[in-house]
Amino acid sequence: MSWINTLPVWQWIILGLIPPLIFLLYFLKLRRTPLEVPSTYLWTKTIEDLHVNSIWQRLRKNLLLLLQLLAVAMLILSCSRPGCQGEQLVGDRFIFVVDQSASMSATDTLDGLTRLEESKKQINTLIERMKKNDTGMLISFSDRAIVQQSYTKNHSLLKRKLQAIQQTERGSDINEALLAASGLANPGRTSDRNSNVDVQVAEALEATLFIFSDGAVKSVPTFSLGNLTPEYRPIGSVDPPNNVGITAFSINEQMDLGGQVQVFARLQNSSLVDSTIDVELYVGEELQDARGAVKVPGLGSASLQFELTDLMSGLEKATPIRLKVETPDVYLQDNQAFCILNPPRVANVLIVSDYNKYLDLVTKTERVRKIANVQLEDRSYLKDKVYLERATLGFYDLIIFDQCSPDQPPACNAVYWASIPRTEGWHTNENLTTTPIVDVDSSHPLMFAIQMGNVNILAGQTLTGPQGSISLIDAPAGSVMMIGSRAGFEDLVIGFPLLEYLANGDTSINTDWPKQLSFPLFIQNVITTLGGGARFSTSRANTPGSIVLLKTQTPVDSIQVQDPVGSSTKLIPRSDNIFSYSQTDQSGVYEVRSGSAADLDQMFAVNLLDRLESDLAVRQELKLGYTEIQGKTVTAEARKDYWTWLVLLALALISLEWYVYNRRVLI
Amino acid sequence: MPLNPIKSESPEPLLSPALLAKLESMELISRKVFRGRMKGERQSRRKGQSVEFADFRNYVAGDDLRFIDWNMYARLDKLFLKLYLEEEDLHFYTAIDVSSSMNFGTPTKLHYAKQLAAALGYIGLCRTDRVKIEPLDGARTNAAPVLRGRKSLWRMIEYLESLQPGTNCTLAEAVKSFCLRNTGKGILVLITDLMDKSGYEEALKYLVARNLDIYLIHVLSQEEIDPDLTGDLKLVDCEDQDIAEISVSQRLIDRYRQTLATFIEQARDFSSRRGIVYTMTSTERSVDRLVSRYLRQRGLVR
Repeated sequence: MSWINTLPVWQWIILGLIPPLIFLLYFLKLRRTPLEVPSTYLWTKTIEDLHVNSIWQRLRKNLLLLLQLLAVAMLILSCSRPGCQGEQLVGDRFIFVVDQSASMSATDTLDGLTRLEESKKQINTLIERMKKNDTGMLISFSDRAIVQQSYTKNHSLLKRKLQAIQQTERGSDINEALLAASGLANPGRTSDRNSNVDVQVAEALEATLFIFSDGAVKSVPTFSLGNLTPEYRPIGSVDPPNNVGITAFSINEQMDLGGQVQVFARLQNSSLVDSTIDVELYVGEELQDARGAVKVPGLGSASLQFELTDLMSGLEKATPIRLKVETPDVYLQDNQAFCILNPPRVANVLIVSDYNKYLDLVTKTERVRKIANVQLEDRSYLKDKVYLERATLGFYDLIIFDQCSPDQPPACNAVYWASIPRTEGWHTNENLTTTPIVDVDSSHPLMFAIQMGNVNILAGQTLTGPQGSISLIDAPAGSVMMIGSRAGFEDLVIGFPLLEYLANGDTSINTDWPKQLSFPLFIQNVITTLGGGARFSTSRANTPGSIVLLKTQTPVDSIQVQDPVGSSTKLIPRSDNIFSYSQTDQSGVYEVRSGSAADLDQMFAVNLLDRLESDLAVRQELKLGYTEIQGKTVTAEARKDYWTWLVLLALALISLEWYVYNRRVLI
Repeated sequence: MPLNPIKSESPEPLLSPALLAKLESMELISRKVFRGRMKGERQSRRKGQSVEFADFRNYVAGDDLRFIDWNMYARLDKLFLKLYLEEEDLHFYTAIDVSSSMNFGTPTKLHYAKQLAAALGYIGLCRTDRVKIEPLDGARTNAAPVLRGRKSLWRMIEYLESLQPGTNCTLAEAVKSFCLRNTGKGILVLITDLMDKSGYEEALKYLVARNLDIYLIHVLSQEEIDPDLTGDLKLVDCEDQDIAEISVSQRLIDRYRQTLATFIEQARDFSSRRGIVYTMTSTERSVDRLVSRYLRQRGLVR
């Protein structure tokens, strides 16, 4: 048993005065309530013999006074905070970094709590073990970091902020959290122009960094711990728990199978043993298809495929598609995935080219005619009023600029063939001569089923796109095909022309790609993905926490977005008539309505589909930069306080006193 | 601090029609035979005119010749006069304590006393007894009217309603004054709470000396029998402003109950030793029940 002095001397003196005061008040009884009675005759007779009793005789039988004094004694005792001393933390500055990503919602802890709750419990214990003057900082992270509480000596505030941390459905990225944590521990340096010596801008303050996570975080290649002493506390069961999750979910139209619409899903099992699960596919709220006893091997994955071709013919409005793993496990978030299926629509495609016979030929196939109205124009059309009006109002779904680029980017997706958009971030680099293709990003929908191994390019340029651009085709010198986003649209830039226009008006072939089977397939992919991109809203597009840019078919003053829980948000458009929605914290289907209209305008789906998050195996070590930190599972006892019991006892005594006083049990 | 919350005006009428109907069939009983003042319905010690034979006596000159027993004269050749029992009225007194202490309870003890006096008085009126209801106020008010016959009911009610509490004199003084003013023999019903610090014994002794048929009805309010008090209180006597400071506890309440029981026992003992019929009642007991059950058991009414 140990005691902690929680009060200064003067407060103890005041506390010490309370019992004698009660004692005095009890005898003085300064306030007596006057009450008129018919006669004091009997009362006087009654109290006559009581008056002769001595003060101590009264005390001996006075239960009320005894109870009051006992209650005060309990309260005074509780102020000295009795308790069993636990271990104290070594150091004076502590940073608690807690993972709040989706995988932390798994309930594979010993107490059946979620991993986040278990983290909070452990941090709470650590805060209680901190000495009085120790300072603590609290940071939570998912795919971004939030400093919940900067350095403070107020431990109860830290605990309050800790309890306020909410579970998210986002991925994990510890980078930002580490940068925030190292802010004071590793202050920046500044250099003086007149000397070669760097000057530290502030004094470095060493701190202990506690990381509470399951370790399923993106790698941190460049972080240096400096003055931070890291301690990694892996949260979750040591053996990978039973979890089968959906890690991929998409709808595709199979060109080679006559336009069949199929749903693909990939299931991943993060446990060591094989799992057998049931899967259901819902269209809207109706069960469309189900697969029973799907076997997913331990630490492996399985693919599923559903046919939706029959459904497409009768589809009149956008419909949400939901895939659900029926068999419950410890991590529920990856048991559902969402996608939006839009009714078929013929895309408006404009090709601006000075007669490119390959483009002309490839867009006249029966397959392309079915899915797109292709309009071929030459470069002079870019100056035409009709073009300017249509491009600004979003008449076209896709414009292919062959070796030309408009002054203003159009309000639609665009393909720049051997030219770059006149927007910030796009650059051409070195000129290439006779280059092979070394890599193709076949996971991108544009490059689906595209084989480029046998394609030769005579001349071209490597490309650099704005931040976030993805390279689709790489030559040894760099990327020759990139896709980048632009205010809600996507620009596909190809660094080599199909044909070269010679000065005498002839053309020469620059690549043999048009002669390959992959070329018409690529054009079809471009038209379906970029032109009719809205047809199958791919599940990859939006992850929880990402910003979704929405565009209405006609300009409106406002739109209402309803999240999966049912709460609505009103949005007003930006200057370019695009609505930006950021409250995508939950997975599910979001509904968009124009203005006050009750009819559904469009839908979009938000899915995490993160293999890292679905893999629930707890990493026992964490690599931060070049440092590898081994996880410690510590179950040190926190100090056990008994003051709460004393206060409860005092309350019970006061209640008993009240009962005795009112019921006149015995005084 | 507002004074006693138990004090309240009772809207209850003194006599209800139902009670009146019940009372009409009742009769006041005296354990003693008294001389009346007027012709009435009760046997008197006097000999007089009635159908009930009492005795013979020798004829003396001047006697009414109508009462000579001529058969006796024929047999014995002596004149005897036949005597009959006289039927006279009965004096029925009700003395009500009107001290301030009677103005407590729900209903007030005074109201209860008035109801009781009215009920007993009405029985007397129905039997053409001489009914007199006197407040024990030391002769500070005008003499009470003597009532006789059923028609006097409303005068009696009016008079009762005019009685006000607040006359504080000792019970002994008030009874002494009553005895001096009322010399007739008969039944006396004394309704009081006996809350007199100078004692009730002297007052009862005065009454006993008058050789009356005495009934003492001790009225207490429920608040006095079972006080519902809590906390630290300064009790103020409404009559003499005497103060008693108490800290209410179970022990004190138990002690009070014990004292009250002793007080009642002493009063009953004192009364029975002197031939006074003692009845203790609470204001919560209905007058109807008191008259028709308790007083009937004790022989006041039949």
